[in-house]
Order: sequence, then structure tokens, then C-alpha cells
Amino acid sequence: MEAIWLYQFRLIVIGDSTVGKSCLIRRFTEGRFAQVSDPTVGVDFFSRLVEIEPGKRIKLQIWDTAGQERFRSITRAYYRNSVGGLLLFDITNRRSFQNVHEWLEETKVHVQPYQIVFVLVGHKCDLDTQRQVTRHEAEKLAAAYGMKYIETSARDAINVEKAFTDLTKDIYELVKRGDITIQEGWEGVKSGFVPNVVHSSEEVVKSERRCLC
Amino acid sequence: MSDKDDIEAPVITEAAPVLEDGNSEPAKNSESVDQSIKPENKPEPVVATRKRPESKPSSDCETSEVLPVQASEAAGKEPASKEAPQTGWGYWGSWGKSLLSSASATVATVGQGISNVIEKAETSLGIPSPSEISTEVQYATGETNAKENENSFPMTGAFGVFSTISTAVQSTGKTVISGGLDALEFIGKKTMDVIAEGDPGFKRTKDLMHRNSTLSQVLREAKEKEEQWTTNEVTMETDKKTHYGLLFDEFQGLSHLEALEMLSRESEVKVKSILNSLSGEELETLKLELEHLKEAFSLAEFSEEEEEEKKEDDDFTKEITELFSQLHVSSKPEKLARARNTAYEWIRTSLEKPLEEKEEGEKQLEGETTEQINKNSIEDIHAFAIRSLAELTACSIELFHKTAALVLHGRKQEVTAIERSRTLSQMTVVLCKELSSLSKEFTTCLTTAGVREKADVLNPLITAVFLEASNSASYIQDAFQLLLPVLEISLIENKTELPEA
Repeated sequence: MEAIWLYQFRLIVIGDSTVGKSCLIRRFTEGRFAQVSDPTVGVDFFSRLVEIEPGKRIKLQIWDTAGQERFRSITRAYYRNSVGGLLLFDITNRRSFQNVHEWLEETKVHVQPYQIVFVLVGHKCDLDTQRQVTRHEAEKLAAAYGMKYIETSARDAINVEKAFTDLTKDIYELVKRGDITIQEGWEGVKSGFVPNVVHSSEEVVKSERRCLC
Repeated sequence: MSDKDDIEAPVITEAAPVLEDGNSEPAKNSESVDQSIKPENKPEPVVATRKRPESKPSSDCETSEVLPVQASEAAGKEPASKEAPQTGWGYWGSWGKSLLSSASATVATVGQGISNVIEKAETSLGIPSPSEISTEVQYATGETNAKENENSFPMTGAFGVFSTISTAVQSTGKTVISGGLDALEFIGKKTMDVIAEGDPGFKRTKDLMHRNSTLSQVLREAKEKEEQWTTNEVTMETDKKTHYGLLFDEFQGLSHLEALEMLSRESEVKVKSILNSLSGEELETLKLELEHLKEAFSLAEFSEEEEEEKKEDDDFTKEITELFSQLHVSSKPEKLARARNTAYEWIRTSLEKPLEEKEEGEKQLEGETTEQINKNSIEDIHAFAIRSLAELTACSIELFHKTAALVLHGRKQEVTAIERSRTLSQMTVVLCKELSSLSKEFTTCLTTAGVREKADVLNPLITAVFLEASNSASYIQDAFQLLLPVLEISLIENKTELPEA
């Protein structure tokens, strides 16, 4: 357990029911694959630290949302406070790929006035024989929306780390460049608490962390 | 909101101006206004990470200061409250006495009273929902709102303190009688110092007194403060282990609590608008039904079954699973049961040890568990106790959150809202009792392991465990009350066959 991090990012994971959102997150946060899991109720919460550069850690708060339509009104409420998102579809389920578009539209409406940095994730890539979505078309769709595309498998632990870490790095770059800023009343990005020892590093110079009463 | 609340609330609001007028802090006011205008230049670090617009009481800085200062400052404020003078901080002086009398009082009533008051106060504040506060302008409004109603809070806080105490008593009381612990002495004589020395629970309780916050805000701020402390101390790693707030968050308790609050607020708004749209007989009938529902939300059973003791280990798991199946929501309490059983397992191994103890060297032989036990200093026990309490509480709140989500958006229900309410209130009782007996187990561990420790080393740890346990119980009871609007809307929707929103 390490309590030192530069920033805290809130990420949301969305996509159709049964594409494997919870399994992907559990693989990432708990390091194991749960064969069977109940459908997510509303939202679930996970967190993990990610080291993006040596000594630079980001705390990820990951919101796992229910894919089921009936919980949509709950999950919608979580878009707004997310800085990043993983939009999942199941490569063996064409329908879930076709719905990507709707998911993006839905978030666009509810995230205002903020924006979410999305990565498109083709999940269950271990089941290549049952593939219904080609990598090429997925990449094309992702590019059309300015997203990166990555294929993952929670079962075989393929690209799971990479999916989260790459997204985190991208967001971190945006934060560093000032394209994304910490805002009061918005929980997407928060600055972490860094002990004085580490304080010398450049981007830690944030006034609010200095004064400790 | 019920009529009952309406009775309580005005009282509070009346009493309040007296409190604030004398030494209302103009500095504070201007400070928060300031902040709402230019949030960039805050003097305090905590503010940056705070979630909702709030009056930002000076206590942000205060809390990290020496506590006696606060206590006296608080005491200066509270006595003005005529309605419940003994619940102010001045009351702490005679805490020992009150312990005895309130030990037999019904904790439930008080506990519920406080939640109602808080709830009432919260709603009357009109704390804006996250989506409403997206702009600075609205921020400012929220701030003003909060400001105006701020007055009503000291009283709420006073109740909060009282309930906390009495919950603690519920657990300590028994120990006093059965265990022959020197509990009375340490509680009565040393409480003020002990608590002031560094119990996070005390700070939170105090926070509840002074501000109009939701439960999750209080806990979040406590956590953030703890975060700052820990990152600024060399002993961070070990330190973190005993910070309830940090641990509670680590188990995602805070997130689930916020999620539950969100559902609760939404439901409350819906209920209100439905009530507003009705009139005449229809309205009266519905009001009556909601009243029944609210009755089911009382924790009356608390005192009735209070006496039964020492249950078999599996009973809790069985009981809570049984209750959950009665709820007819598809969520399962396995996680909670696991957390609880892990705690008991730990206690068991920990307690076995001291009996066969004496020869320090011998312990090495017993493999990995021994290694753990070997290190079970009172600090370890304390750390594990706090951790377990935080985990159990987080799990409980997660269950309430899931229940709310399923009640609102689950499939067609086979049980009525009232039945669910009764089950939930029973569940709350079971959970609180569990926390209470768990804390007793832990303190037994502490006293056993710390026979040779000085009282001023051991007692603060014991007190801290009791306090966090009673705080935990309060959080659970408060979280339980958040379910009321959810079940109200469920009742209404079931009745009128309203299409789901």
C-alpha cells in the first residue's frame, strides 16, 4: 500500500452488458480472473495505483458500470466526474460493437461541460476463433472518434495493464500540458498528496498542496 | 420527510440563531465567499479536493490543532442551545455519569432521531446535487444556501454526539459488567485527554457538530486530513494502518456511500414532486402509507433483543443471508460475511496465543500464523481492529447501496416496500450489534495482550476501538436512513404503477 501519488484520475468503464467490464477491471485491480460473476448492480468501485514513470504514480479510481439498460439512469450520473473511460465491446459479439456509437453519443450528452478521454477496447481477444469484429474495422471506428484501439483479454491477461496504463499516460500528458485542469467541483482529476521529500519534482508545484495547517 | 421531522426541525432552527449570533464567525463567512469567487487561491489545501460546495468552517485548520482548544471553543458555542444543553460539549465533563444512565436507554431512538434530524437538515439546506453545481455561479448559490441554514447544525451535531456516545455505551456497558474491565475508569476519567490525543473518530464527531455536511462529506474530509497527516510523516506506512477514514475509503466505503446518497437524494426529489402533484384523499392515503413505511424504518428492535449474547459464529452469516433473501434483491452479502469471519478468525488465533504464551521462543514453531501472532503487539491488534471495523462498515454500506439500486431498478418485486423496510431495519440492528460485539472481542484481545502495558498506553487504544465501533454503527444507521426515500419511491411506484423513470 502506497499512499503517495501525483494525481488521482477517475476512469469510467462502459459498454454493453456481458462484454466483460468487471472482469477486465478485476484482472487489473486484483490480478485475477473471475470465471463467473454476477451482473454489476448500478456501479462498483475499484482503485489502483499506476506507475507511469519511475517514481511517478497516479491513483486510478475506476468506476465499473452496469451494462444493463435498467441501470442506465444510475450509470449516467457518473460520466460527468470522469476524466477517462474505457469503452468496451466484445470481439465475439458484433452487436456490442455496433452499440459503441450509441455509447459515445450517450456520454457526450451527459458529460457536459467536460470531456472524457476514451480508449476503445476490443475485449475477449483470447476467443479469436469466434471473432465477429475485425481489428481493422475496430481501428477505423476508433480513429473516426479520435480514440485509440486496443484488444484485451482478462482471462489470458493480455494487454490489460497496457490498456489502463496507456490511457493514464495520455491523460497525464494532457494534464501536464494544461489541456486538462483540476477544477473545483469536478472529480475527474485531483492532485495527490506528495510528501515534502518528493516535492522538488517539477509538476508537483501546485499551490494548494503546500499549505498544511 | 415526515411530520415527525417537521416537529424536530423547527426547534432546531429556532435555537440556532442564538448560537451563531454571539460568535458567528464573520471571518469564516467572508472566507467561504472568497473561495467561491476565486477557488484558485485557497489558503487551505483540503478545499481543493473537496467535493461539494460548503460552508468551509474554520475547523479545517482547527482540527489538526490541539484539541483542547477546539473543545473549549466548541463549548463556548454550544451552551447557548437551550433545547438540549446536556448534549453540547460542556456535557463531556459528566460523561461518566451519563454513561450509566444512557446505558439502559434505548439507543435506537436516539440513533434514529439523529439521522432524521440530519436528514431533515440536509434537505432543508437544499445541498445541490453534483449535476446542479457544475458552474461557479451555482456554487455561489449553494454556498449562500448553506450559510443561511448553517445555524440549524450545532443541534444536529449535539444529537450526533449523543448518539455516538450511547452507541459506545452499548458496547462498553456490557464489558463493564461482564468483563470486569476497568472501562468505567478509563472512560470517565480520561476520556477527554485520551480522545483529544488523536482519535480521528472524535474529530469526525466534532465535524458533524459544526457543519452541515452529509455523512460522506464528513468522512471524506476526515480521510483527506488523514491522508495529509500520513504523507507528512515519516512513519506513513505504519500510520496509515490506523486511520479509519483512509481505510474506509480503501474499501470503497466512501464511494458507495456517495452513490447511496445520490440515489437517496434523487428519490427524495421524486417523492416530493409526486406528493405535490396529489391532493385530497389520494394525498392523505399516500401520506398515511408513507407514515407506515417510516415506522418500519425505526430501529425499535434494537433494545428488545439487546440482551442476547454470545452467538455462534455462523449465526451472523446465516442471519444476514436470511435477511437478504427476504429482501428479494439479487445482491448477496458474501463479501460482508467474509470480512466479518476473517476478523473473527484473526481474533481467535490472537486470543489463543496469550494463553499458551509465556515462552516467547516457542511461538516460532507454529508456522505462518504464528509469525503473525508473534507480532501481535497491542498496536497490531489496534490496527487490525480499526481496519476490520472500516472494512465491515464499508461492506455494509456497499450492501445498502446495492440494495437501493436494486430496489429502484430491479425486476418486479415480490415483496412490499414495508416488508423490505422491516427487513432492512432488522439488518441494520444485526450489523450494529455485530460491530459492537466485534469491538468487544478486539478490546478483550487488547486487554489480554496488554496486561503488562501501562494504562495510558493501553487505554487510548481501547477507547479508539470503541469509538470507531460506535462511529461505524452511526454511519451504518445513517446510511440505513438514506434508504427511506428509496423505499418510499418504490412504494409509490408499486402502488400507482408509475412507469419507471
